[in-house]
Amino acid sequence: VTINFREYEDNAVWIRIAWGTPYTKPNQYKTSYVVYHSQTPYVFISVSVLKSNLPLLCQALVVASSYHDIHEMELRSHSLNSLKDIVFKRYSQNFQTYYPRPLQERNVAPENGDLRIIQENRNEKERIQRVNQEVFGDGPQPKLEFAQYKLETMFKSDPKMDVLDEKEPFRCLVKFSSPHLLESLKSLAPAGMADAPLSPLLTCIPQKARNYFKIREKKGFFPGSFVSP
Amino acid sequence: ARRGAAPGLAPAMESADGAVRTLPSIGRLSRGPTFGRAHGRFGLSPSGRLLPPAPRSQENADPQRTAFLLRKQWTLYSVTPLYRFSDARLRDYARLLSAFIAAEKQKGLAVEVGVELDIKVSVSSLPDLKGSDQDQAAILVQLSSRSAASSKNSEEKLIWSGWFCCVSGDDLSENVPEDFTCLPLFLANGGESYTSIVGSWFQKTFDCCFRRLAISPLNLSWMAAMWTGCKVDKTASAMELVFSVPCLPQPLNISYAIHPEDAKALWDTVQKTPGEITQEEVDVFMDCLYSHFHRHFKIHLSATKLVKVSTAIASAHCDGIIKFLQSQYLTGVLMLLTELAISQIQ
Repeated sequence: VTINFREYEDNAVWIRIAWGTPYTKPNQYKTSYVVYHSQTPYVFISVSVLKSNLPLLCQALVVASSYHDIHEMELRSHSLNSLKDIVFKRYSQNFQTYYPRPLQERNVAPENGDLRIIQENRNEKERIQRVNQEVFGDGPQPKLEFAQYKLETMFKSDPKMDVLDEKEPFRCLVKFSSPHLLESLKSLAPAGMADAPLSPLLTCIPQKARNYFKIREKKGFFPGSFVSP
Repeated sequence: ARRGAAPGLAPAMESADGAVRTLPSIGRLSRGPTFGRAHGRFGLSPSGRLLPPAPRSQENADPQRTAFLLRKQWTLYSVTPLYRFSDARLRDYARLLSAFIAAEKQKGLAVEVGVELDIKVSVSSLPDLKGSDQDQAAILVQLSSRSAASSKNSEEKLIWSGWFCCVSGDDLSENVPEDFTCLPLFLANGGESYTSIVGSWFQKTFDCCFRRLAISPLNLSWMAAMWTGCKVDKTASAMELVFSVPCLPQPLNISYAIHPEDAKALWDTVQKTPGEITQEEVDVFMDCLYSHFHRHFKIHLSATKLVKVSTAIASAHCDGIIKFLQSQYLTGVLMLLTELAISQIQ
């Protein structure tokens, strides 16, 4: 193994690793990177680490950093900065405020357009904006490309429809993808394609710092929001 | 509701030798005024014009012969009837097409930049690919290249394939004058430029017209429902629906894959009338899937665009791209596609 260290500003230590075997020299073209911020319990590992090398790498990191254990968070993205934002909580979070914001502060299009054009459902549109803001916060969202949900919940239908009534879970795998997933999700309700508030399964992504989920049925409640570790 | 009119009578069809065969499950394909067209061409014919997904010829068909059609991506076109086409002259056509391609290359409409390729054309018939006896047997065109450098022992590489077919296209072929041959569905695999050259030659020679065949979300839902219901021997792959939401500031794609057993279990409870599938049943099936999704994510999939459907049998994309995955259902899927092609022509 060949290891190089490089320190960057913002206390990031970049570790470059080239892997070899007892028989071959380390391959300098297929390297993996690990980024570690000292004083934080987080480490970012590039996906180029082979699965077989991963346990070894993790062990080494634990020993080197004097921690007890390391475990993988279900969070992946192309944007390292976004991952940092999420994990270090540097994105704008939604705070509960009780003072009602005056409507003028919203970025509603100026009303001096054609007075004959009346916005229908204006109340609903404003409610959606407000709820979206509460849920997603004001600032730019961290940049993620995917979210994946493995659903193992029960299928429930309108009893009128007389369809499937199984005791077994309805197994699905749902993948969302977008160049900028969170912004995309945020725009769904205003576009009329989703309800506001959007499901907590989606809005919890930054707070829970994960974008890979396994959802099982939660006893007594629905939708099952029990997230398995 | 539009009703499929697959005759529920005698769930068996007599073949010439008197043997009675039972319909495999795909025989429940609807033949009602589906896909939004009501031409009255799908009447319940008293002679029991069933949809034989396993036509007589396929009984003896060697699945090996059509195996090369599987797992390849085919781009779909509809083709208007060909004037004065004869399946006895296939060798001649191959020769003429070959000359045409060479001429086009001379003209500078070079297909391959750089390497000088010798293109060999073969035109053959695929008798196994037809539905009823009235169908014209499928015609396969293949372009192979041989590097001009070492013509002696160089290998021929298949660079492009295209085939015309008609599976249960009686409604078209019955209504067409004598000199015309009905092969309304064309499938191409390979470089776009070759498709365009071959297409031009056919258009010029047989006075026909090719058009890309798109598949609407409505038709895709039909495919999802029908194919989910098919019995598959081996472990099937998931039933996947892909939705696209392009008109957002940041486009979004959603892939919704359901375990094939669970999807089939759902479809089996929805599909109530034996022998036919109705629009209502397809709608209920899709609504169930949409509402299960909505309960979890609060997103209305019905407001998005269904762009691709993938099952163990086949996968279809709205741009008119298909992949066949199971040889036993090949003709069944072709029958559906023939129907779509005919709709587009008429």
